[in-house]
Parts: sequence; structure tokens; C-alpha cells
Amino acid sequence: MILKEKRNTILEEVFRTEAGCVYQSDVENCFYVDFGGRAIKFSILCFFRLKTLVDKVNLPDMAACPERSSDIEIISPCACEHCYVLTLAEIAALKELLAGAKVMLELNSILKERLCRLVK
Amino acid sequence: MKDLLRLKTSLTEEIEAVLNDQIRKEAHSSALYLAMASWCDRNGFDNSADHFYKQSDEERQHMLKIFKYVLDLGGTAVSPTILDVKFEFNSFREVFEEALEQEVLITQSINNIVDKCHKAKDYMTVEFMNWFLNEQKEEEYVARRALELFDVIGEEGTGRWEIDHQIPKIKYE
Repeated sequence: MILKEKRNTILEEVFRTEAGCVYQSDVENCFYVDFGGRAIKFSILCFFRLKTLVDKVNLPDMAACPERSSDIEIISPCACEHCYVLTLAEIAALKELLAGAKVMLELNSILKERLCRLVK
Repeated sequence: MKDLLRLKTSLTEEIEAVLNDQIRKEAHSSALYLAMASWCDRNGFDNSADHFYKQSDEERQHMLKIFKYVLDLGGTAVSPTILDVKFEFNSFREVFEEALEQEVLITQSINNIVDKCHKAKDYMTVEFMNWFLNEQKEEEYVARRALELFDVIGEEGTGRWEIDHQIPKIKYE
């Protein structure tokens, strides 16, 4: 993926699908979303805002709507320099990627709580 | 790997969502009480109007208390949109029946939040919500007592005038 070639920061892979990958930077306290040929840096808040926006897109409605404008969706999280212009298939892929990343982050949280914080 | 999720907020997504839902319900209560105040004012029940103005203020304070709590814990508090507030009532009595119904609804909602917090082991929020449970004792008591005045005094003759004068005297002690 493009991200690894460009950066020297140590990034931990959070979740990967065929369409992309989410990384976490412990140094910068942020996430990198490598998707659609671009790697975009997101603060923690922006990352969850992006997920909320992507989750809000109703795929069945989008597929059923005959208007040409409904073929694409513009996802533009507030306070983020970037935006995504995505097709239905790409939104489905991004949903899957972000949902998987969220589950892994929650799993990491549970593991930290059970294995690290409780035994200290 | 750092636990960025926990570092960002102490609230889980589910608890944050139910707290935001409660913010919306408290805001709706505030708007509904304001509508009741308006109805009472229009129909000559000045003391009851004052009672509902105060209730409306209280509900807004409750909303802000939860709003600030969500933010204090690193969550995102959402300013609610309030639609479809009932502003016409068939009778003086119906206003108070609706008020009690609203308080029962709020109590149930808080109970559900506490239940979810226990399941999520979020004892900080349980502790926070205990204040609201205590508050609901008073809110339900006042609403129930007000409604009981309609049976005790009766609405015939100057009954409604008398009820309106007794409303400010209801105290929970």
C-alpha cells in the first residue's frame, strides 16, 4: 500500500480489507486511512466523525434512486482537509473497513483493560 | 498499541448515544412545559403558568447537566432538534395529566439508562444518573399531587380558580 512507502513513522495496522487499511500512530495519536489510492491522516475525533458520516449513507436508497447524482456520495468530515467522492461500491467497502477498525479498537481497549490495567 | 479509544473518552458509543437521547428528551420536556405555560397563561391560570415556566427552566437545566457531563467525559454532546411540541390542550386537567405522563416517561428513560450503564459496567454514569433518579421522585410527586387537586377540590364553580391557587404551594419535603 502507498502509505508504507511514504512514511517513516511507526504505524500499527488496526484493520485491513482488500480495499484498504487503517493504521494507528501512537506517536501522533491519530489514525491513517489508506483507501482509494490515498492515505489520509485523521485525528481521533475526525476518524469517528468520518465513520458516522459513512454509516449514515443508506446504500439501498442510493441503489434504488434513479437520479444520476445518487450514483456518488461526497463524504466531507468537518475540520478535515480532505473529502471522499465515492461510488456505492466504494462506500460499502469503506463502511466495512471502518467498522472492522472500530471493532479492533474496541478489542484493543478490552485487552488493555483486562490484561494491562487490571493487573497493575 | 495505545488505547486511543479509551484515551479519547470514558463513554462507550452506546452510552453516549443514550445520553444524547436523554438530552433530546429533556429538551422536549422543557419545550412541552413551555407550551403548557403558554396554554395556562392564555386561559387565565397565572399560577399554573408560572409553575410550568419554572418546570421548563428546570428541564433545560437537566438537559445542560447531561450535555456538560457528556463533554466532560470526552464525548460528543449533540444539540437536539425539537419538533412536534403539543401546544393545545382540551382542558385544564389534561395539561396536568400530560405533565405527569411526561414525568413518568422521563423516569422510565432514566431507569433504562441506568440499566444499560450497569450492563456496560459504566459506574461513573450510574453515579451521575443517581442524581436524576432522586430528582424524578420530586418531579413525579409534584405532578401527581397537582393532578390529585382536581379530585380533592373539584372543578365545579370556582374549583379551577382554587386549584390554580394551590398549585404553587405543592412542595416535596
